[in-house]
Order: sequence, then structure tokens, then C-alpha cells
Amino acid sequence: MSDVTTLATVWLDGCSGCHMSLLDMDERLIELSSQFELVYSPLVDRKTFPEQVDVTLVEGAVASEEDLSKIRKIREHTRILVSLGDCALTGNVSAMRNTCGPGPVLMRVYQENADVQRQVPRIGVPELLARVRPVHEVVPVDVFVPGCPPSAETIYQVLSELLAGRVPTLGGVAHFG
Amino acid sequence: MTEANIRTLTIDGVDISARADQTILEAAREHNVDIPTLCHIEGLSSVGSCRLCLVEVKGARRLLPACVTQVEEGMEVTTHSPRIDRYRTMVLEMFFAERNHVCSVCVANGSCELQSLALRLGMTHVEIPYRYPQLPVDASHPRFTVDQNRCVLCTRCVRVCSEVEGANTWGVMGRGGHSMVITDLKEPWGDSETCTSCGKCVQVCPTGALFEKSHVGSKAPKHPEFLPYLRIMREGEQA
Amino acid sequence: MSRTITIDPVTRLEGHGKITLRLDDAGVVQDATFHVTQLRGFEKFCEGRPFYEMPNITARVCGICPVSHLIASSKACDAILAVRIPPVAANLRRILNLAQLVQSHALSFFYLSSPDLLLGMDAPAEERSILHVARSHPSIGADGVALRQFGQRVIEILAGRRIHPGWTVPGGVNEPLSEEKRDQLLGMIPGAVAAIQRTLTWFLGSIEKFSAEIGVFANFPTLFMGLIDDRGLAEYYDGALRVIDSEGNIIAGELDPAEYASYIGEAVEPYTYMKFPYYKPLGYPGGTYRVGPLARLNLAGRCDTPLADEEWRRFREMSARPVLSSFHYHYARLVEMLHATEKIEALLADREILDRHVRASASVNNAEGVGVAEAPRGTLIHHYRVDENGLITWANLVIATGHNNAAMNRGILQTARHYVQGDEVKEGMLNRVEAVVRTFDPCLSCSTHAMGRMPLTVELRAADGTLLREVRRG
Repeated sequence: MSDVTTLATVWLDGCSGCHMSLLDMDERLIELSSQFELVYSPLVDRKTFPEQVDVTLVEGAVASEEDLSKIRKIREHTRILVSLGDCALTGNVSAMRNTCGPGPVLMRVYQENADVQRQVPRIGVPELLARVRPVHEVVPVDVFVPGCPPSAETIYQVLSELLAGRVPTLGGVAHFG
Repeated sequence: MTEANIRTLTIDGVDISARADQTILEAAREHNVDIPTLCHIEGLSSVGSCRLCLVEVKGARRLLPACVTQVEEGMEVTTHSPRIDRYRTMVLEMFFAERNHVCSVCVANGSCELQSLALRLGMTHVEIPYRYPQLPVDASHPRFTVDQNRCVLCTRCVRVCSEVEGANTWGVMGRGGHSMVITDLKEPWGDSETCTSCGKCVQVCPTGALFEKSHVGSKAPKHPEFLPYLRIMREGEQA
Repeated sequence: MSRTITIDPVTRLEGHGKITLRLDDAGVVQDATFHVTQLRGFEKFCEGRPFYEMPNITARVCGICPVSHLIASSKACDAILAVRIPPVAANLRRILNLAQLVQSHALSFFYLSSPDLLLGMDAPAEERSILHVARSHPSIGADGVALRQFGQRVIEILAGRRIHPGWTVPGGVNEPLSEEKRDQLLGMIPGAVAAIQRTLTWFLGSIEKFSAEIGVFANFPTLFMGLIDDRGLAEYYDGALRVIDSEGNIIAGELDPAEYASYIGEAVEPYTYMKFPYYKPLGYPGGTYRVGPLARLNLAGRCDTPLADEEWRRFREMSARPVLSSFHYHYARLVEMLHATEKIEALLADREILDRHVRASASVNNAEGVGVAEAPRGTLIHHYRVDENGLITWANLVIATGHNNAAMNRGILQTARHYVQGDEVKEGMLNRVEAVVRTFDPCLSCSTHAMGRMPLTVELRAADGTLLREVRRG
């Protein structure tokens, strides 16, 4: 496998906990960062996804039209796609609305639980998908990292392996939840 | 023990001897061979329903459930192979896809046999489309809750309530994908006239489907160890 | 000619947001909107869950401030149980809450905003990240990592893990504090205090570089709201809600948090998934108020810990009235970090913190429960209704960042009008529009009980839609 030098991180429909767990590597993140360039991430000001990225960590499930187009673009421009955390892997809490669907959710939030100007927002906001989906139901995924969130230690191991040129498997190493 | 009661067989290429009335699972466990199980629990009858303990037996067309298959003389059993591993993982994926198992927010997170099996068998995601059924939670009992979303229909609750407590409160209704464990004639658990509130069902439930309300947040909420002990005590009385 | 500029995504903040600016023919910004583009729907999909699961479920609203949700949720559950939890349990929850504050403020200040504060708003975009700060200013980077780690370690030691921990349960907490852990926690305090003081020194030394930004970063009169205790001091766990105006007059001195629905309403706008809470007596949008560090420091009579009190006085010297510029959220965050750290120490020093009885037991005694606490970003409200068996029938969450929504939108307009002008749109101009949002440290996942993020493209289009110029960032 050719060298891994560029890393991207993305959050879809999640809570950012997986990214926080990444930061929970504390100073080890700073140390590791000498081995790669963070080319796209909520933590940096790059605004367009680069043409080619070696590794992209994806947190969160696919829940809106925007998530969908985003993840497809990311897959196209990424060599190794890592589903990070239970939301990306299984839908997890983000998918809990699948038993009732987006309609009742919108009614509860914007009609029932609002006092004035009750309406469902539609301008400049993406439509919610009928079903929240795990990432691999939409694009092929190369590495699956369970956990809600995966521990900082697990993420450190995953990154270290990838930077060393190996594709890790987390089966038997990390569990859901 | 007479000679007629011993059977010799091989498990994963190793010669072992077992009693004639033993199952492959019992024989394997006695010889420290590890076969994953879910519906099986020491102290209750076996039903072979979860299919996690499937093993290869030379000469048999299909994989056989080790917990309900009796040993036979000369049997050649394989407990792990790529084929078996694939089937076990498929079975596990089906469990996760059938109902709503959100490990992260489950009361049994960290102490769940389904979750542990996923870890043990290296299952990190589910390829089968999730069903997302709408299933109820019955919290009418003062001490216990039953959450159908987390049930895997192992029927341990049914069996322990029948075989050990004798109350027969738990039963199974419906067929196939519509099966559900119910209390009495599908009445709220809190209204049950047969339930003795002994809590045995809660202790043997492998997931967060049956749970003791006051144990929320506890790191070790379930204690099924009473089961083999009770079995011995009762058999001792009968002897 | 008139045109629309879209900043998509807003980076270095938590969640998904984009900004649209509409310019008139003269190139003056007429309108600015902040679109939050994701929604998960906790208020609906929690229906049917047993109420005692809500802390664990609502923790997943946010990975930065799960503890805030754990605590507000547990308090709502306490109300459903109709219990008064043991005092030591309340204090243990307090420590957890304060540690959350330190960790989250450290994230906001160092990881998200320090690139702007240290390297300048016009610094090249590729240099504006914590990883670069760690290289260009290694000791500051180390302090940032250490302070976030401090907060996270306190949470980990108390509650078992850093993100989405358990431990906080309806009725109290799960496990008492051991002497060993108490000593371990106390040992961590001096290092944290020193790091915060170092940070205050360099930050205050550089603040005059930002006098222009201070002038226009959401700098306008609003009400301020937050929890206060019976001494009128900032309270993060319990207390009553107070509302003051921009002159410092107390509009409402002691509001019962459980009755929030009588004085806080929520409005919807069609362009964002985030709602707009407002102070009902003044209607929408007149009843716009701000919450969070700036509000809390404006509300407080003083700080009840010595070092923070000194800093608080210095903060208030900036203005005889409440401090109005949202730029000073950054400053307020540092003061709060100091306050929180000192308070943690004080709570740990109390012998009774080791008390073993940490949980009250009961079953469902109320059909409704409200839990209110101060999260890092402001007042957080959890409101549940349950059936007789304790299954959730309805839920409402009013999230800290949401309270600031109206102020953020106004702030973007104010900043954009000052910096974005004419035909040429420089990258640093747009960064400033984002930077004003960053001062609020919004938690957009929280505020829509959802989250997301977006990339940034600026398109200059003529009135007929023809693309004139495209500016891409990054």
C-alpha cells in the first residue's frame, strides 16, 4: 500500500463525540500530526474537499440529502474510507427516528414545540432522508471502527496502523456502545 | 459408569470421550473447546433456536446445533471453519437487523451477551438491511421492564419461568418475524396474576430486554449464577 | 448589482452551518442569515423510552457537552421521581458539570478560536488550525491540550469515561467518590490554574489588536439570562433564572426554571433548522437575549472564588454596564475556566464529598419533570412528560446555543456590513463573519439536537444569476 500522508475528517449526522474522542488522544494527536497533513476537517479552514485524500475518517450517519451527496463525493476522492463510530456503522442514535420517520419529527419540533411562526424550515436547509442510514449502505467502506464513541486509544491504534501502511480490522478489538 | 455409556469422538481433530447422554456442546465445554451460544444457558433445557452453536459434523449435510445434538460414537466434529464463521456472523447480523439494538444507549451496554458475541465473532457492521420495527416497551411491573426492541427471542425467560419457578408467566405468541414474548395472555406484566416477581427471567435475559429498574447504571446488573445452584439444590431434594 | 454570497461550511465550530449574505446594488450587505442544516429529532424519537434512559440517550445530543445533558436530564428525572437527591450527590454532579465547562471552553478557545486569536483573522487559511498553532506556538498549544485534558480527566475519573459517561442517574449518582480519587483530582488543580493564568496573560496582552472586531462582533444591546444562586452569584447546577437588560437592570430577578415555558417561547424561521427562543414578555424578536459565559459574567454579582473574582473585576472594568461585545465571550470563557477550576477544588476539599449515600430511590411520582442547568454555552432545559409507568410521552429540549440564535444572526449582519463591502471579497473578510459566530461557541448539533458541517464557497452572481466570480476557501 502506498504511503498515507493526507488525512481528512468529516462529520455527517452525529454528535461530534467521535471527533472529540480523536482529540482525546491529547498530545499524541500533535505527535502523530507530524506524520500527516490534515487536509480537510471541521478543525481546519479548508472549504472544498481535495481531489485526492489518502484516509478520510467519517463520523455520523447519512440523514439528509446533503449528507448523501457529501459522502458520495468524499468516497470518490478518498483512497481509504473509515467509518468512525456507531452512528456511521449502524445508524445508532441518529437512526432512532427511523421507527417513526422524519414527518412526525418535524411536526413535533416545529409545530408542537414552537410558539410563533410555526412552520417546517425549507429554505437553504437540506431535506431529511426518509431513512437514516449507516455509511456502508450508501458507499463502500474500508475500515469499520465501533464505539460510541470509539476510545481515543482505539482511534490512535487505527491511525497508527494506517500511517504505517496497514489497513486494520477492528473485529474482536472494539465493541458497539 | 458402564462402557456402553461412553462415546468416543473427535472435536477439531482431538480425540475425546463423552457420556452417551451428552450433547456436543456439553462434551466440548468439558474439554475447554469454546462454542458460542446465546439461547443456551446452564441450568435450563436447550432449544437450539439461536443457531449460534452450529458445528460441522462429518457426514451430515447441514450444520448442526451443538446444544441439542447428542454425541455419537466416531463423530467428527469441527467447531470453527471459514464456513461456520460465515454462518455464525450471518446469524448475528440477522439478530441485529431484526429489531432495534442501539448498544450505546441500552441499559445493558457493557454487560450484554449479544454485544459480547459481536465483539467475539468480529462483527463490526451489518450488511443485512435493518428492519426498524415499531415495538413496545412494557414498564407496568413495579420492579421490571420488558423492552421488545432488545429481545432476541432466546426464550430463556419462558424456560426459566416454566422449568424453575413454575409460574409459566412468559410465553411466545405469533410466528416467524412476528413472534413476541408475552406475559400471560398478552396482558401488561404489571397486571399478571401468575407472575411471582421472582426476577429469574430478568437475571437470565442475555440482553437489555428484561431489566430491573433499580439496577439502571449498574456495571453488573445481572446475576444468572443462581441457576445451576438452584438446579443442584432441587435435584438434591428429589433424589 | 445585487448579489448573494454563501459561506458554506462555517468551519472551526461544532456542527453544520452555512451563512448567506445578500448585497444590494451598491455592494452593501442588506441581509445575513445563518442556516443550521441538520436535525435529529430527540424530542420525538425518545417517545416510548423509559424515563430513566433519558440521561444516556440525551447525552448523545452532543459529544462535546454530553455531561451537560446528563445533568439536565437527570434533574428532570429527579423531578419525575419527586426526590431531593442527597447533597453530596448534587455536589458530585456539580464537580462533573464544572469539569465539563473547563474542557469545553478549552476546546472552544484553543482548538477552534486560537488560530484567529494568535495568528490573526487574515492569516492564510491553511495555517488556521490547532495543529499549526501547536507548531508555531508550542507552549500555548500544550496549555490548550493540557486544559482540555484536565477537564476530560476529571470527568473520566469521576464517571468512568470521558465522552458519554454514565454515573449520573435519576436520584443522584451511581457511585460515591473514593478518597484516592479525591486526592488524585486535587493533585491536578494547580497545573490547571497555572495554565489558565498563563493564557489570560497572553490573551489580555493581545486583545487590543482586535479593537475593530470588538466593535462589531455582535456588539449590541440584548437581554442576558442565566442561573444565579441566592447570593446573586453565577450558579451552574441549580438556582433560579435571572434576566437583565443591557443597562444591567434586573428585568426578572428569580424565575423558577421549571416554569420556563411561561417566559421562554420558541420561534421558527424558514431558513434554519435551529429555532429562536425569546423572552415572552417582550415577544419575538424584541425579546432576544444572550446566554453563556458573557451573560453569566454580566449577571454575576461577583465570583465566589478568589482568583476568578480578581479576573472578574478586571473583566467588568471594561464597562460600567454589562459588557455587550460578543468578542468578549472569549475573555469570559477564560474567567469561567478559572472559576470552575477553583470551585472544583473547593468542592473536593469538603470532607462530606466522600459520603457514601449518593442516590435516592423512588418510582414515578410526577407525570412531568423539568431539569435546568448551565451548560458551557448557556442555559440548558430538558422537559419530559411520562405516562404512569414512566414511559416518555413527550419531550422538549431548549438548548444553550439556541438561545443565542437571534443574536448570532444579528451579529453576522453587523460584522458582514462592516467587513464585506464592494466588489472584492477577500478571504479574511469572510473569516471574520465566521469568527463572530465562533465567539458564541455554538454547539449546532445540540441546538438542533442534530449536527452537521458544510464547506465554504463564495459565489458572486449578477441579479440574473450569471456567475461573475467564485472565491473558494481552502
